[in-house]
Amino acid sequence: MNFALTADQQLLKNSARTFLETHCAPALVRSLADDPRGESDTLWKEMTQLGWLGLALPEAYGGSGLGMVETAVLLEELGRVAYPGPYVPTILAASVIAEAGTAAQKQQWLAAVAMGSARATLAFLDADLDWNLESVTTRAERAGTGWRISGIKRFVPWAHVADVLLIPARTPDGLGLFLVPASAPGMSLTPVTGIDASTRWVNVKLDGVSVSGDAVLGTPGGARPLLEAALRRGAVGAAAEMLGAARRCLDMSVEYAKVREQFGQPIGSFQAIRHKCAEMLLEVENAHAATYYAAWALDAGAEDAAVAASVAKSYVGDAARKVCGESIQVHGGIGFTWEYDLHLYFKHAKALETMYGDADHHRELIVRAVAA
Amino acid sequence: MDLTYSPEDREFRAETRRWLEENAPRHELKTLDDRRAWHRRLYDRGFIGMGWPKEYGGQNAGPMRQAIVADELARVNAPAAINALGISIVGPTIIVHGTEAQKQRYLKKILAAEELWCQLYSEPNAGSDLASLKTSAEDRGDHFVVNGQKIWTSGGVIADWGLLLARTDSRVPKHKGISCFLLHMRQPGVEVRPLRQITGSAEFSEVFMTNARAEKSDLMGRLGQGWEIAQTTLSYERGGNSLARVTRYAGAFGQLVKAARSLRRGDRPLLDDPVVRTKIGRIYAELEVQRYSALRVLSALEKGESPGAASSVTKLSYSEFEKRYFELVEEILGPYGQLTMPLGDDDVAVDVDTSSGSRGTWAHAFLWSRAGTIYAGSSEIQKNVIGERVLGLPKETRADRVKAREAS
Repeated sequence: MNFALTADQQLLKNSARTFLETHCAPALVRSLADDPRGESDTLWKEMTQLGWLGLALPEAYGGSGLGMVETAVLLEELGRVAYPGPYVPTILAASVIAEAGTAAQKQQWLAAVAMGSARATLAFLDADLDWNLESVTTRAERAGTGWRISGIKRFVPWAHVADVLLIPARTPDGLGLFLVPASAPGMSLTPVTGIDASTRWVNVKLDGVSVSGDAVLGTPGGARPLLEAALRRGAVGAAAEMLGAARRCLDMSVEYAKVREQFGQPIGSFQAIRHKCAEMLLEVENAHAATYYAAWALDAGAEDAAVAASVAKSYVGDAARKVCGESIQVHGGIGFTWEYDLHLYFKHAKALETMYGDADHHRELIVRAVAA
Repeated sequence: MDLTYSPEDREFRAETRRWLEENAPRHELKTLDDRRAWHRRLYDRGFIGMGWPKEYGGQNAGPMRQAIVADELARVNAPAAINALGISIVGPTIIVHGTEAQKQRYLKKILAAEELWCQLYSEPNAGSDLASLKTSAEDRGDHFVVNGQKIWTSGGVIADWGLLLARTDSRVPKHKGISCFLLHMRQPGVEVRPLRQITGSAEFSEVFMTNARAEKSDLMGRLGQGWEIAQTTLSYERGGNSLARVTRYAGAFGQLVKAARSLRRGDRPLLDDPVVRTKIGRIYAELEVQRYSALRVLSALEKGESPGAASSVTKLSYSEFEKRYFELVEEILGPYGQLTMPLGDDDVAVDVDTSSGSRGTWAHAFLWSRAGTIYAGSSEIQKNVIGERVLGLPKETRADRVKAREAS
């Protein structure tokens, strides 16, 4: 029984913290907010060189073969700086290819991801924004040896910079999953702007997009377990990022409460502030336990791994919203200004809350699993 | 990270479970003799004072073994050991601060429940501000004379002895004038009155001391060391059986689901109501987070790390969770959740095993949940501790601190 990080995991955490403090400083995050792509190619290359893109990919394709715990360690640090870019959608899509892809598909995409030359994303939501997979209305019909896909995908993260999109679509055999190049004729991408500049969403319309027979991931009707597993990894990944954002906001609040004086003393000496900070710490520590338990459970294939992922996503989403929000309250007026950095983390946590299954969806999954 | 139990721990758990299946009482223990007998069986099996050093009759067992036994006891809803305060607080305090003679005199009898103990700390005017206590112990040469009133004394009615905090010097700052004594409860100067709580039952007492006698040999530590001793005592009380606690919550959760399946609203079971489902999903997630946190604490204890002030986070977390838990249960069950009497044979809507060894009601559990955020350091005190000692925030300006500074 060991809930602490191993020495290697701690090393990863420390080096990520140090690197990101300088290479993904608030100034960069702010400058990318006005950039139509919204990410830095330089940063992407550096992340690739650090081995982060291949962190959890098989060694055969240039990866390091590590697991969800290491991924969570890294994502917590990325959340801490409100990293803007397609890291999560790319590694998530790659993980599905690694799990279900043919030798050729893996050869084509995994090495490219690990080398930083391909970005990818996964389109979970159809037009009605229902996380239940039954709601997928996008259709794939056989056309010769290939397929024709039509439908609407909404809020696809970072699709505008992706080379390939993983598209769930209904086939005559059941739910299928297709590798669709972003440049395929019939694809139209419309970025939408939200409060969080570190998350970019794109609405995607597929109008009779033709793909070849080898674009199917796994079997044409066998996508459900793949997507469920991907959603769990995405949920735990989002939890880790939200945890990082929340801890950053807590740290900033505590530091501020030590130095900001009103009524002739530091505001942290007032119980109204101190108790708030204590409540924030409690939420952060609980969020830590939830995130890392779930990450471990996924790696270990624990019986309760699916429930743990849903627990993490639903709990940490609430916790991060509360902690990041309260950090603005602790800071008072300055916390509400554009110049102060708190809102970067507040908004990023808020955006992540809706992704990879919102809290209501995950609570329903929990009830199905434990009270069926 | 690795959250699997070792093969040895799994085997130990299996053995413990087998023994409990054969030996745990299947009914509520109503008499003191019955409860003592059960305590003795646990003691003989090596399940009492597991963490105590071997030389004092303990097992020198690590936190994991202790947690496993507590967890398995919770799983079968076994009655609690009778001398819980003696085992978890008084004994360890004597081991750390007591004289050799005190150790010889008291420890064995605590383990075997031959003498039952209570804690004489809180007073009507000294709750969170415990150090302002007024009960006095006056030096009379060969003994001390104790006068004052204690409150919230758990198990006071059955206790033979009490661990007492009393003021021995009123001229020094309040923390420095307190001493710690072992007080015999069965003497004319000690009167115990049961204190009825909002639950209707009386687990606590008020204790009145009028010229009660404490022997010189029953002073614990040095004169004036009482506050320091109490701090270590309070720390033992924080963060203990967290895994077992979660197992009890989980048992209650199973019963909640059963109730939600059997009760109907409109033309369907409550469990099919989407609003109820969201609530159940939320509370289960919180319950699991408590379990993960308990494992985290246990893993740190196993490595010999002392949680210190961080155990305030644990205490704050579970006690506040418990209130939310039973409030939510009340929302789901409606008026059934308030019944204090059984309705019939199949009483899933009313009954729940939440207290050890006895069948309880949701109503009782709901009311009892109000205690956790007050006893052993209220939530407000825990937040002060977290703020000052975990987060390093500046101390507040407090009138008593100003006074102590002016005095020195």
